[in-house]
Amino acid sequence: MAAAIANPSVSIQDLSLNFGVMSVLKTLNLDVAEGEFIVLLGPSGCGKSTLLNCIAGLLDISEGRIFIKGKNVTWEEPKDRGIGMVFQSYALYPQMTVEKNLSFGLRVAGVPKDEIAKRIARAAEILQIEPLLQRKPSALSGGQRQRVAIGRALVRDVDVFLFDEPLSNLDAKLRSELRVEIKLLHRRLQNTMIYVTHDQIEAMTLADRIAVMKGGVIQQLDAPQTIYNRPVNRFVAGFLGSPAMNFIKGHLEASDAPVFKADGVSVPLGRYQFDNEGGRAAKPCVFGIRPEHIAFGEAARAMPFTAESTVEIVDPMGSDTLVWTKLGGQILSFRVEADKTLRSGDAIRIGFDPARASLFDAETDSRL
Amino acid sequence: MAEAAASMSSDALRREASSRDASGPSGTKPRHALSRRNIFLYGTLIVVALYYLLPLYVMIVTSLKGMPEIRLGNIFSPPLEITFEPWVKAWSQACTGLNCDGLSRGFWNSVRITVPSVLLSIAIASVNGYALANWRFKGADTFFIILIVGAFIPYQVMIYPIVIILREIGIYGTLTGLVIVHSIFGMPILTLLFRNYFTSMPEELFRAARVDGAGFWGIYLRIMLPMSLPIFVVAIILQVTGIWNDFLFGVVYTRPDTYPMTVQLNNIVNSVQGVKEYNVNMAATILTGLVPLIVYFVSGKLFVRGIAAGAVKG
Repeated sequence: MAAAIANPSVSIQDLSLNFGVMSVLKTLNLDVAEGEFIVLLGPSGCGKSTLLNCIAGLLDISEGRIFIKGKNVTWEEPKDRGIGMVFQSYALYPQMTVEKNLSFGLRVAGVPKDEIAKRIARAAEILQIEPLLQRKPSALSGGQRQRVAIGRALVRDVDVFLFDEPLSNLDAKLRSELRVEIKLLHRRLQNTMIYVTHDQIEAMTLADRIAVMKGGVIQQLDAPQTIYNRPVNRFVAGFLGSPAMNFIKGHLEASDAPVFKADGVSVPLGRYQFDNEGGRAAKPCVFGIRPEHIAFGEAARAMPFTAESTVEIVDPMGSDTLVWTKLGGQILSFRVEADKTLRSGDAIRIGFDPARASLFDAETDSRL
Repeated sequence: MAEAAASMSSDALRREASSRDASGPSGTKPRHALSRRNIFLYGTLIVVALYYLLPLYVMIVTSLKGMPEIRLGNIFSPPLEITFEPWVKAWSQACTGLNCDGLSRGFWNSVRITVPSVLLSIAIASVNGYALANWRFKGADTFFIILIVGAFIPYQVMIYPIVIILREIGIYGTLTGLVIVHSIFGMPILTLLFRNYFTSMPEELFRAARVDGAGFWGIYLRIMLPMSLPIFVVAIILQVTGIWNDFLFGVVYTRPDTYPMTVQLNNIVNSVQGVKEYNVNMAATILTGLVPLIVYFVSGKLFVRGIAAGAVKG
């Protein structure tokens, strides 16, 4: 995976967590660079929130060590770790005003009054919640509540921000607005941020690096574009991207110029970049290609691989249209511009560049 | 559309117009005060209410009569001559054993038993419930199960052992001893109540407070306590009525001069010597029942809200 980071802001070493006999996190390693925005992405139950709670110190880990800013905090209380956390349900104290919510942690820590006032003023200015300071959380909208929750992490003046699905309780419009705000906040503060989400768009837009998790294991840790273009296994390939990647089952024929074959289709893989030479051996495999990488009509002719097919279903999605067809007897979808008028039964020509495809071992599901 | 309308006869047009005005059912469905459903419902409620209120009526009426009038035997008839003599006697003159200062002694004893017992038991049980709900210490579940099982053990089994324990400590027969007994016996149900209430609070709130650096007591006092008024009201009502109405512990663990009101009431009503003064007995009984009654009336709404919030989830 990625090369070792010199002075990691957060470093997780061989972390394991077991609940009784169930193993939730398995010898997990993760180094987060100073000022980096890391997104932990995965389906529910993959352990991403659990990992975040371990970093925060809200869950006692079974094995391993956690370093924050070079200090071993494995046994430290959450407040001593230099973290601020934002929760999905906002978790604002309902009986306190916004101002008291923001200052609670500081008052507990015995910070002097004028310092508290200064920090609240700064946080309120950054998040534009000055008019709300005297209100109770029940008198705020969802977006305002989440802003206050971010403010609560902000006033603590910490090294690392932890976000636990902060936007999941908001409607689509607010979510995209706050997403931009979080991105701007990160640019302004330059803090290390660890952000948990199951939403791939949040992950793609916010992250410097994404850690895709499944079953308590980090599947791939890399920059969003790398994960998108070169997923290490079928799970990562299928989880990222919407509409999802097409998978065509077939087998690899080994020769000097490897070829992927499925029922009546053969795709030359001369331009495909294998991860290692061993991948070229003949074996059953799965060929993955994203809907947006398939060309259609005249553009298809220019592609290294082209095929004839017929349109099965057309799904207009507004900005573009998703067309379902068949290749090698298996279902394939691709994207066309919304102004292309296609109907079921139309004969079409499609094509793609195998260099943009992903090839997976049918047995291990890992990238070839 | 326009052509179709034009081809319609004027009759049809009128009919269509009439279907648009107020003749058909529209808007809120009308409700009749004297529907069969209402008569049945309220009839039943009134009958049941009368059935339950009748004894109270008899008690009040009897307590306001003099003894000659009571001897006439018309227990339902209102008093011909209203007298408050029986109330005064019940409060300050009725005799139990050697003391002839009425129920007032028992009342103040009961107050001195109830107030500390309620405060002590709720203070301990709320912290218990909070610890069980939020600080899942090792063996918390076992501890909780043992506590719940405790709620099902009949009191009678423990009376004698507790007598011995109190005697050994040297507080048998004192109000302190009784307060401790009441606090212990209130623990299972109160802890269950508080635990369930605190469990129903969002877990993230607790986590946020921990990240903010609040400790065990900080979170309890500054986050949890201000949010749990309804459940405290429920606990106070349960304890006040339970302890005030207690007879068994009162009679076993105190001495005649420290008897709670209930025990004293029993001694007044069940005295075998002399004339049975029904009017005094009735007045004394109402006086004793007044405290729980007032508690219910004052806090009815909060009580229901708290019960609904705390008792459902397991």
